[in-house]
Parts: sequence; C-alpha cells; structure tokens
Amino acid sequence: MAGITWHYVFKFIITGDPAVGKSSLLVRLTDQRFLANPDPTLGVEFGSKLITIPEDNKVVKLQCWDTAGQETFRAITRSYYRGAAGCLLVYDVTSRDSFEHLRTWLADVRKHADPHVSCILVGNKVDLCDEPTPSGASAPPTSSNSPNTSSSASSIIKSSKSSASPSKVKRRSREVSYEEAELWAKQEGLLFVEASAKSGLNVEQAFVDASRDILEKIKKGVFDDDRSPGVKQSLPNSALVDGSAVKSTCCA
Amino acid sequence: MEFFSQTYVALRGPTGAPQTPTEIISKLSDRLSPATLLADRRAAVLSLKGLARDCRQEVGEMALPGLLDVLFNDAEVDAEIGKAVLETLDTLCDTEDVTSGSRESGFKYTDKVVASDKTTHFLFALLADSYVRLPTLQFLTTLLHNRRQVIQSYFLTAPAGPGSIIAVLEDKRDVIRNEAITMVQALISQSPDIQKVLAFEGAFEKLFNIITQEGGVDGGLVAQSALTCVDGLLRFNNSNQSYFRETSLPPVLCALLQFPVSLDIQTTAPQEFALQFWDTDKQANTSLIVGIMGMLVGSKGHGVQETLPYTRCLIEMALASNAPTALKIQALRLLPTNINFPLSEISLTPYVPVPDTNGEEWDRLELASALDALIELAIHGEYNGLDAGKRTKESLELRTAAASVFENFVRKDEIRQAIVQSMVPPEDPDSPQRSRTTPLLHALASPPNTASALEPADVISTHIATLMFSHLLRSSPRAKASARLIIPGPLQPTHDQASNFFVPADGTPAEPAQEEPEDEDEPQTLLQILTENLSLALLSRSRTNASDREAREWDRYVVGYLCLLSQWLWEDPKSVKDFLDAGGLGVLVEPINQTSEVDSVVPGLCSFLLGICYEYNRQPGEITRATIHPIINRLSVDMLIGQMARFREDERFKSVGPDSIVLSFPPPSLQPSVKPAVGTLDEGEIWFDWAFVDFWKSNYYTVQRGFSTDPDQLSSSAGMHLSEELNGHHADLLSGQSAEATMLIASLRDVIRQQTGEIESLQKRLNEVNNVESQVAELQKQVESLHSQLASSETKRKDVEKEQEDLLVLLDEVTSKRRKDKARLREAGLEVSEDEADDDDDDDDEE
Repeated sequence: MAGITWHYVFKFIITGDPAVGKSSLLVRLTDQRFLANPDPTLGVEFGSKLITIPEDNKVVKLQCWDTAGQETFRAITRSYYRGAAGCLLVYDVTSRDSFEHLRTWLADVRKHADPHVSCILVGNKVDLCDEPTPSGASAPPTSSNSPNTSSSASSIIKSSKSSASPSKVKRRSREVSYEEAELWAKQEGLLFVEASAKSGLNVEQAFVDASRDILEKIKKGVFDDDRSPGVKQSLPNSALVDGSAVKSTCCA
Repeated sequence: MEFFSQTYVALRGPTGAPQTPTEIISKLSDRLSPATLLADRRAAVLSLKGLARDCRQEVGEMALPGLLDVLFNDAEVDAEIGKAVLETLDTLCDTEDVTSGSRESGFKYTDKVVASDKTTHFLFALLADSYVRLPTLQFLTTLLHNRRQVIQSYFLTAPAGPGSIIAVLEDKRDVIRNEAITMVQALISQSPDIQKVLAFEGAFEKLFNIITQEGGVDGGLVAQSALTCVDGLLRFNNSNQSYFRETSLPPVLCALLQFPVSLDIQTTAPQEFALQFWDTDKQANTSLIVGIMGMLVGSKGHGVQETLPYTRCLIEMALASNAPTALKIQALRLLPTNINFPLSEISLTPYVPVPDTNGEEWDRLELASALDALIELAIHGEYNGLDAGKRTKESLELRTAAASVFENFVRKDEIRQAIVQSMVPPEDPDSPQRSRTTPLLHALASPPNTASALEPADVISTHIATLMFSHLLRSSPRAKASARLIIPGPLQPTHDQASNFFVPADGTPAEPAQEEPEDEDEPQTLLQILTENLSLALLSRSRTNASDREAREWDRYVVGYLCLLSQWLWEDPKSVKDFLDAGGLGVLVEPINQTSEVDSVVPGLCSFLLGICYEYNRQPGEITRATIHPIINRLSVDMLIGQMARFREDERFKSVGPDSIVLSFPPPSLQPSVKPAVGTLDEGEIWFDWAFVDFWKSNYYTVQRGFSTDPDQLSSSAGMHLSEELNGHHADLLSGQSAEATMLIASLRDVIRQQTGEIESLQKRLNEVNNVESQVAELQKQVESLHSQLASSETKRKDVEKEQEDLLVLLDEVTSKRRKDKARLREAGLEVSEDEADDDDDDDDEE
C-alpha cells in the first residue's frame, strides 16, 4: 500500500504446452526460487514483479498470468490473450512436441490477442542439457543485456554459462536446437531466448526483453488508443483516492 | 401498437369468427420464418410477446425455435425486433412466477435455449450492440438464474465474453450499468475461473469507478451491488486477492470509509472517520467494505505491512467510532485469530454521546491505548457502559466479540504473562503492596452487592471479567503462578463505578479510596477474594425470597466464578492449595448436596471443581487428598458424576457454539410463561464461552475418573491404575486410547511444567550471575582506575623523591661550600658561629 513505485504496468501471459515449466518460470521470476514439482495449473494463476529497464530508466510492474497448458483449460486461457501486452510462448528444449505445438499456440495468440502484443519465444529447461549442444559450436547462448529493442527477432548472442552442476539427476537430450528455434522466431517475428527456471538463467531476461519491446511500442504510440488494458501508466501523485485514476491508460 | 392491431385484424380473418389462442400462435409462429418480410416478422414477434404472458405454454411449444431464429438473424439488424424477441424469450424462461407449472416450463424453455452454446455466445456478442443491451442483460440474468453452471461454462468459451462484460460495466446509462452488475453477480458466483478472467480484464477498476461515481458508501443500492461484486471476485480466490493487492485499489477501500491510508502508528485517527452520520444504506455498504477488508486481513500468506491499515481501520471502527453496533461487531469478529497487532501501542480517542442530543453531539474522552479501550468495551459495554443494564443481544454480542479479540490477543504466552505480571503488586518485604487496580481486576474482584437489588450491569461486568481472566490463565502455569500473587486494592462498591466516567486502564480509578481501608487484618489475594465472592453468591442465591430473575442473576455470578476457578486450579496444585486454604471445600460441598430439580448448572460445576481440587491437591498442607476423599465418598461418586452429566445436558451449556455464545433471553423453555412485551429490544444473556465448553469437554472425563482414585494414588491417569481399569472393565479401545493420550499429555505437561520452572529459576540465576558479572566488571574498572591513580601518584612520588635527592645533593654542595667558606673565614680571622655548623643538617628542609 506504499506509494506507487512504477512507471508502467504491463500485463503478461505465459502460455505453452503442459509441463514445459510455465509456472516454474513465474515462480522463479517472482520468488527467485525453483518450484520443483508443481501441480498442474488450474485455469490461471497470478504473480507480479517489479523490473527496471535501465536504458529508459523506467520501472515496470509486470502482472503475469500464468495459464494452464492443458487442453481442457484452453477455452479459459484464451480469455487472457485479449488485453495482454506481452506474451511468453514457452516450450521445453528437450521436447520436440512442445516446440511443434507452439504453432497452434501462436495461432491462438494471433487470433485472440491484441495485435500489438509482444511475444517472446522461451526455450525452457536448458539446464537439462547444458553439456554439448547439437549445434556444437557454442554452449547455449544467452541473450545479452545490451539494448536490442528495435529488431524484434534477433538477440545478440553471447556464449556463457558453463557453471552448471556437473551431476544432473536426469539429463535428457536436447531435441530442439538453438538455431532452429531462433530461425523460427525470426520468421514469425518473435523475440527469442533460452532459459532455465531451475538455474534462473535468462528468466528475468526474457521478461526484460519483452518489456523493452513493449516500451518501444509505447514510444511509437502504438498503445495510445485507450483500448488496451494491458498497459497502464502511473499518474503523477498517483491520485489513489480518485477511482477514475485507474481508467486512464498509458501515453507516450 | 399499430402492428399489433393490424396483425390481430389479419388473423381474425374475414369472418370475424373467434379463434383459439393455439391457432393464433401457430399462425404467428409460421410468420417467424425468414421468408416473410422483416416488418411481418416484427409484427409477429410483438404479438407473441403480448401473448407470451398469458399463453406461455403454447407460445413456448410452438414459437421457441422460430423466436431463436429471429434472434440470430434479425436482432443485430433491427433493434426493435431484437428487443421484442429478447423480452419474449425472457418471459418464456422466467421462473420467478411460482404458480403451478410455470416454474417447470420456465426451466424447460431455459434448457432448450441453452441446449447448445450458440445462443449464449450470441447473447454475449449482442452485448456489444448498445440498443439491445438492456433486454440482453435481462435475458442473460434470467438464464443465469435458472441454469448458472451451463451459462458459466459457455461464457468461458465465448469469443466476446469478458470484453463485452467490461464494456457494459462502463455503459453511461445507469439502468444498463445496474443491470450489468446484477448479471455479473450471478455470472461470477462460485466460478473462480470467471472471477479471474474478469479481474484480468479490469473488472475491479470498473466496479470501483462505479462505486466512486455513485458516491462511495453513501451510494445506495448500486454501490452496494458493485461492492457485492467486488466481494464475489475476491472471496475464496487467492489469485484474485493477490492481483487486487497489486492494483492501486486497496487504499481506495480505506478512503471510502474516510480512513487515512497511511496513518502513523503514533497518530490518532481523525475525527471525521470516528464520527459520521449513519443511515441504513451507508451501513450496508460499509459492512461490505468491512467484510472485504476482513477477508484481505485474514487471508494467509500476505505481509503484515500490507494489511496493517485494514487492521487499524477495523480496530478504530470498533473501539473509537460512532459506527452502528452491528458494524463494530463485524469489525471485531473479522480481526484475525492470530492477531499480532500492537494493540497497546496504538492510542485512540473514544467518544461517548452527549446525553439527550440524539447522537448528534459527542464527547471526546481522553486518549487510551487500544488494549485498554478493548478491555473497557468488553467489561463495561459500548460508550462507557451507557445502557449496559439493558443487555440487548446486540450489545452482548459486541462485548463478547471484544472479549474474544482479547482472547486471541493474549494467545501468545509473553503477552498474557506481561498482562498478569502487571497486576502483581511490586515486591516489597517491608510493606506489602496492593496491586494496581485495573478495570479488569476491579470488575473481577468487586464483591456482589448483597445489600440491595442486583444491578444487571454489574453482574455482566463481573461475568465478562471472569471470562477474560480465564483467557489469561488457561493452560499457562506461569500466568497462574503470577496470578496467585495478585492482591487487589481496596474496591469501591460497583454500583457507583458503573456510572463513573471512563477510567483509563493503566490509571487508578477516578476517586481514590478516600476512607482509609479500615484495615481488615490482612490484604486478601485475588484467589481468596474470588472464593469469598463465590461463597457470598451461593448464599444469596439460596435466599428464599429472591425472585426467579434475581436467582438467575446470582446463578450467573456463581457460574462465572466457578468457570474461572476450574480453569485456574486445573493442573496447578499450588492454586488448589490456596483455594482449599481459603475455605473452598466447604463452599463447594454445600450446593452439590442440595439436589434441586430445577438447577443442574451450579451443582454440576461445583462437582467439576471439586473433582479438580481432588485431582490436583498434591501439595502438602492442612487439607490433603485424604481429607477430601471421605467427603467425596459421602457425596457418592455416582452422584457427582450424575451432576456432571446433567450439567452437560443443560441447554445453556449445549447451545454454546464457537461463534455464538450469546443466547436469547428468555430462553425458549421459559418463553411460554414470560411473554416478551411487544417492541422491547431483543434481550440476550451469556453463560459460558466456547473456550470453557472446550475446556470442559476435553477434561471432564479425567475429572470423573479422578473421583474414584484412592488418596494415596498418583494422578488418576497414572499407568497402574489405568491398566487395572482397562483389564477390569474391558474398557473399549477408544476410551483406552484417549486415556493413554491423556496420560501422555499429562506426563508431558508435567515435564513442561518442570522445565518451565527450571527455566525460570535458571533465568533468575542467570540474572543474578549477570548481576555478579556486572559487579565484577565494575570492580575491575575500579581496580583499573585505582591502578592508574596509584601509578600516577607513584610517578609523582618518584619525581618528588628525585627532586628531593637533587636538593639534597645541592644542599650537600652548599654545606660543604659553606664549611669551606667558614674555614676560609676563620682563616681570615673573622668570627664564625660554631653551633651553626651543627644545626646545618637539621635545617636542611628550611633551606
């Protein structure tokens, strides 16, 4: 209930096949811990987090709605696409199927969501296969911190991440290569990052990248029309008592 | 109307022969087919709409599919036909009418309409069309009323669902907005998914807009239903609750009640919050907001910091405002059971109404801590005991609610210990001191007024004080030990006290004891006073001339004392000894022996307490277990157990529940004889609180078994005895288990008690040691300083010595020089005094 400490509120949805680690990503983001054996999400769950976009010196509050991956909840989760400013499309790098299915998920998002929604493709669970990658050339790259908002698809690649624990309980082989996913992301105009909810690698980065993209759109005036509930700007002095304050949405 | 008459003329046909409704409706239904002109269809729908009310059966049977087709095809094109068809359908599906058959047919047509998701989806899409919004909403409301779950599942798959709902909530037209709220209420009911979807779409913001536009708590029915919606979105929905916290809305809740959001813990709440004008609408709205606050305060897993303003707001409303009593009760009950709010650190300003101003003028009383105000409220009632004598059910509810907040507050052992400890007089071996008189202690220890008629307000004050004091002592050996040391100060007769002005709990009563207490031999401890008061009350109760009503009041005194004593003496041999030494045994035996048909409560409780005394009389003393045993035998164990069994059957005991300890008065059993006068307020009474009922139920069995143990035997639950009993009586497994558990618990308790004692003694030792340590440190410091002093004086001394030596050397030189000089003088033939030379050495110092 303290004073408002953010400049914008962005609504995010996290979507993708069951058991690719959507809830774990969210818990990693909000609580900085790894949710080991979560129950399947029912419908949708909510979490939030403040992040800073250093280049713009803006604090953004992320309101994340973690949707259920199971088919039975598909109808419900669709309701969340509308009104979201950002969307995380999550797949499991060790599951080919989860990657293939993203086409349908993306089609869903395209169909139901705001046309301006910023999507980022997230390959989760890289911790399971962080030894040699099929691509051979480099370890799984991580997206860098440098500003990279104008070109939506390509992230600057920087090799890192060799500090993973040597003994994994269960290592599974990678089924989706970094290059392939990156290529597809480029084709579809998505941001892309590989992440691990277990180690925390790139999790926040994924949200930061997407937020940066949304901020860029805000600067261009995309969200100026009063319709999108996914982006909200804090008002000076945050006229809290006045209920109408919450009505106004962002402006550049 | 034009269409209407035209159609009728057309239908009547050239002959003008009367037609049956069936024929008319079948013709009209034919006209609904898309082939006919739009104007014709419109006329047909309008006619059917007229007929639907009177010939519902026929219209439903024949025209329903046609009407639905019209809905799909024409409603978006032509607002008028859309409106008419929606209203017709609404009439058909209506189930409000309870006349025979019409309810069933309403459900039947509803089922037809919702057989597939098509209609429902279409209706949600139709909400976008602002011309037919109202009838669409009404129809949806009706459908939801009839078949909620089906519509809810369709809603989740409707492409236009959530967005359209939010849009209608923003509609500028009041009628539509209000209808929308009604519909949303039904839509979100028991569906967490829909609640979340709507929250995601911004329903909270829209609803709060409506509330603010309507004027907040003064906003009447619309604000009320919007608040109900907010409540519905949040209740039992964790996800939405955490989302709600993220929005900028939580402070708005406080603001709606005029409560400042960020109130420093030191500052007091503003008067515009405390004193407001109340009407029924405002009360209803406030009650909803208070409910939402309570829900957010009570839900787990959220920081205390976030909910602190809510807790504060609830406390301020309950303790220092002129809010209606019902709201205060609600606010107190919503405070969480694990309340960890610094009640004693918050100051608040209680108000009392100025007499004869009809609640328009209020006197501000001096600042009091929230804890004191809470105790005051429980013991003396609202507004400093104004109307406390009337004992309305509501006022008793309020006071018991305050008492249970107190119970929750003292659940932490440190807190209860601190409170009890503050009543213990300071240790001073020279002149035994009295305890500070707090309102709680005062009400507790005041003797019942035996001289004149009983003041109902006093009885209830003392009774509630016994309940609250039990909360302090229950199952806390430390608190019991401290409580034994309490020596209440001189007490004024209470009937003056009740009319007294507010007395802050930490101060002395307003009028100090003027007349020097004509010192009875020795100041009595609280336990002695209670024993004496109990005996007094028992005597007065048996006075023959007392009226029924008065006897009941005396019973209440007795019950209060007995309940407190049972919980105090339980598992505390030292207290048992004190009680027995104060003559408790005789007090108890008398009423048990007087078997009366009417009363089961007092003998039952006396037996219970006697059992506790026997069971826990483990301290050496004048009255031992061997003394009590023959008494129990004379009374006969069967009789004692019988009394206790009868007690358990008493309505006053049985009807107490965790949330309802106030019973209505007169009780149902007495009602036929005493008809309450019309127009009198609901009167209530209190006998037991849930904590005691719980205590009784968990322990009566141990007490019962204790009766039949021998005096030299260990506790009734000791192993040998138990196994004998089990073997002898083939006691069933269940009781065996519970007995075993009891035994285990008892032994563990013993261990804990011992350990607590040890810890305490060790703590004392530690303190002592600490003291010694600090003394040592001090001494060391002293030694050090002395050392340094010594060293410095040593050096000084050395300096002086050295100087002296130098001087001596100098002197020596001078002397030798002088000698030489003298010798020279002599040689020169001058006169030289001889004796001087001898004195020289002695005169060293002078030189």
